[in-house]
Amino acid sequence: MREWLLQLDGLLRGEATSEEKLGEGLLGVSARGLAVIVLILAMIYGLCMGCFSLLKEIPPDLAGTIGTSDRVAQLLASMIKVPALFFLTLLVTFPSLYVFNALVGSRLRLLNLLRLLIASLAVNVAVLSSLGLIVAFFSLSTSSYPFIVLLNVAVFSVSGVLGLMFLLQTLHRMTAYYAKAEEVEDAAAVPEESVQPAPEVVLQPDTGGDQPHYSEESQESMPPPKERPAWPAALDMPKGQVFACHTRMVFRCWLVLFSVVGAQMGWVLRPFIGSPYMEFTLFRERESNFFAAVLGALWQLLSGGG
Amino acid sequence: MPSDLLHWPDDVLRRATWTNSPASGQRTFGRLLATMAACGLLYGAAMGSFGAVAGGSNWPLQMLYSALKVPLLLSVTFVISVPSFYVMNALFGLGGDFAVALRNLLATQAGFTVLLAAFAPLTLFWYATDGDYSRALVANGVMFAAASLASQRLLRGYYRPLVAGNARHRKMMWLWTGLYALVAIQMAWLLRPFIGSPDKQVTFFRPEAWDNAYLKVWELVVRVFS
Repeated sequence: MREWLLQLDGLLRGEATSEEKLGEGLLGVSARGLAVIVLILAMIYGLCMGCFSLLKEIPPDLAGTIGTSDRVAQLLASMIKVPALFFLTLLVTFPSLYVFNALVGSRLRLLNLLRLLIASLAVNVAVLSSLGLIVAFFSLSTSSYPFIVLLNVAVFSVSGVLGLMFLLQTLHRMTAYYAKAEEVEDAAAVPEESVQPAPEVVLQPDTGGDQPHYSEESQESMPPPKERPAWPAALDMPKGQVFACHTRMVFRCWLVLFSVVGAQMGWVLRPFIGSPYMEFTLFRERESNFFAAVLGALWQLLSGGG
Repeated sequence: MPSDLLHWPDDVLRRATWTNSPASGQRTFGRLLATMAACGLLYGAAMGSFGAVAGGSNWPLQMLYSALKVPLLLSVTFVISVPSFYVMNALFGLGGDFAVALRNLLATQAGFTVLLAAFAPLTLFWYATDGDYSRALVANGVMFAAASLASQRLLRGYYRPLVAGNARHRKMMWLWTGLYALVAIQMAWLLRPFIGSPDKQVTFFRPEAWDNAYLKVWELVVRVFS
């Protein structure tokens, strides 16, 4: 377990996606280990999310129908549903990504692609669970259902965007490796006398304004420069590199697909929080959609009906 | 130790080397914690003394409650905000500096309580010269705002070497301020009353404590404009 947590920390810090670690075009993390971490962290966030049901105020007309067991049931349901939301969304969208990825000639094989997606989910869920404490705090101290719904939507959006940014940047770094390998292969295929020195693909940390460099003034309280990480941050694009066009397009389309399916999956699996105006059910009836519900909650909150 | 308690706040405000030095480790942590506790208790007690001048009953109990609540407010807010801050730092490539950043935040937190404590005589003076509860609320709000603004200067000073090394730390500094304010406002709302209305019984929490500060403000805005 500790090993898996360290792998997650390495992903967050950008160490696992550095040039050295991606040296063989493979993401050197355990997909199984990270999947377990995703499961645990998502359950922790589910616990934080479900906290609202513990202290919510029940309207007088439902006072007799909602008991302690319903509140605990909602909490447990949220703990199960949050990991289910991520894994089911991945399950639904992964095949299409793999097929289109292969179709445009990407060198990412099935296992490596899966590993990349699980790593991206791990980053997503790590951000989500790190914000879980704040969500739990507001859930326990707020009686407004629309406020909690919108807070959770905001937290999911922030973590989702960061997770997907990680995915795109890591994909890019892996693509750079493959481009380099391809050039070496091409050079080997050309007759020896006609070989020209191939332009080298530079894969090095960006040393621009945003990257670490430490002034002498800061040396007192900072570790010496040689101890600074030699890799760019997990969300940084290394200098002078671009995506392979087709792969980039496939992944961008997939990101949209993943977001839409994720939102609708969340809608299908609801309730996650547990409305104080409804009795506990494991799933609600099919009606409306995620986006209409979010707009409805926003309108209710702004019109003072919280 | 008591004489040290006079030196440590001064050191924190002057950003003395020990306040964020990795070398002294646990000793630094202990000193900062002691400074935070002492100054927080002092300002909290001053805040809760309103009943003494406004003729409230049981005001020593309110003083005790408020003295406990101010350090509680600051420390719990800090603990709730740190995990997200760590993950964001790691994700934006600043994980290696996190220990330094955390020491800076702790020292700033201590500085904030020192600033609050410095406003305690002003608070007492205000109470003594104006017995109105609503104005006492506003006065304390102003004290907190002033201490927050002044502590931003302290935070910027502590963060300067980090920002010089990587400009992204400036954004993280703002992120911390935003996260901390988001949680602190709600926490303060939960832990109210800090001053204690002379017309109400002294209680640690208000009966209607479990509510949302932001929604209350929004409802107020809606009422004003509708």
